[in-house]
Amino acid sequence: MIRTLFQLFWSFCQIGYTSFGGMSMVPLINDEMVSHGWMTASEVSDIVAIAEMTPGPIGLNCATFAGMRVAGILGSLISALGVLMPTFTICAVAAVFFQKFKDSRILKNIMVGVRPAALGIIFAVMITLSRTNYLVAGAVSFKAVAVGLIAFFLLTKGKWSVPKVLILSAFLGLLI
Amino acid sequence: MRKEKRIKVWEVFSYFFHISWFTFGGGWSIVAQMQKDYVDGKKELTTEELLDIVSVGRSLPGTMIGNVAFLFGYRQAGLLGGLLAVAGMVLPPMLILSVLTFCYTAFKDTVWVAKMLTGVRAAVVPIILAAALKLRDGAFPEKICYVLCIGGCILNAVFGINCVLVILLGVAAGLIMGRFREAEA
Repeated sequence: MIRTLFQLFWSFCQIGYTSFGGMSMVPLINDEMVSHGWMTASEVSDIVAIAEMTPGPIGLNCATFAGMRVAGILGSLISALGVLMPTFTICAVAAVFFQKFKDSRILKNIMVGVRPAALGIIFAVMITLSRTNYLVAGAVSFKAVAVGLIAFFLLTKGKWSVPKVLILSAFLGLLI
Repeated sequence: MRKEKRIKVWEVFSYFFHISWFTFGGGWSIVAQMQKDYVDGKKELTTEELLDIVSVGRSLPGTMIGNVAFLFGYRQAGLLGGLLAVAGMVLPPMLILSVLTFCYTAFKDTVWVAKMLTGVRAAVVPIILAAALKLRDGAFPEKICYVLCIGGCILNAVFGINCVLVILLGVAAGLIMGRFREAEA
């Protein structure tokens, strides 16, 4: 039990320290959850959807969800603490030396490299998740692809909000 | 602790605890709320200060809104203010998620819920794609950034290199590219 808690903490620490907000956490979460056998790829999809439907940052929501499933309430607390560690360490230093951080060139330089790399792994995780979400027993599920295309169209052209799109998709899931 | 400060600490905690129940669509809705309450309302913060807090919070690792809450709480009421601002911000989503996790585990295999989840899962990749397309702005200030993006994708998807390592490579690349730029200038 202690070992599992430590593993959860360490996993979410890594996720926290190498993610820069929002969607950039999804590939990291997918990596850690699947490699430890804590979640399947389709459960990762579910938690992304749940996190998008509920208030709060996606990383924190995933930590609560994964921690709870693996090791109960204590697990969720430990995981949340892990994902918040950068805030309690690096950000705490930044708060004290705020003026220095505000104009830091090093920070800006790092972001120039991190942003494209984060996008790269986001594309990679889309490939992984597509495999589980659009394939049923090895064959492409055209119904699932159709729902995906409708969702994409509504999000980009229709300017629908994410929760609305998810509710519609759940409804479409019932029909097909 | 002085009474005044205790009140300030309590105020940031309860502020974030209240607004955090309704922050759909990432951290930006919290920032908009802070603008309304503290910049326009109480006038305890200028727009520039809020923008500075957000831009520092965004460029540090971790959840952006956790960082923003900490920076703001620290500014208002010191270290304890920062800690309690984060605590106030995380409690509502954690309570909601705990209940949902319980329901998810209990119901995910029932026929109806399983069908709904099939639809929902089909929408997840487009949601990530739509978010990624928005992230494109500002992600490619130099041509070499495209190499980093495509390289990162291939390293992870094809060669199974851990995401953490790919991001660390990005950090290193950013620092090296910065060195070159400064050497040229």
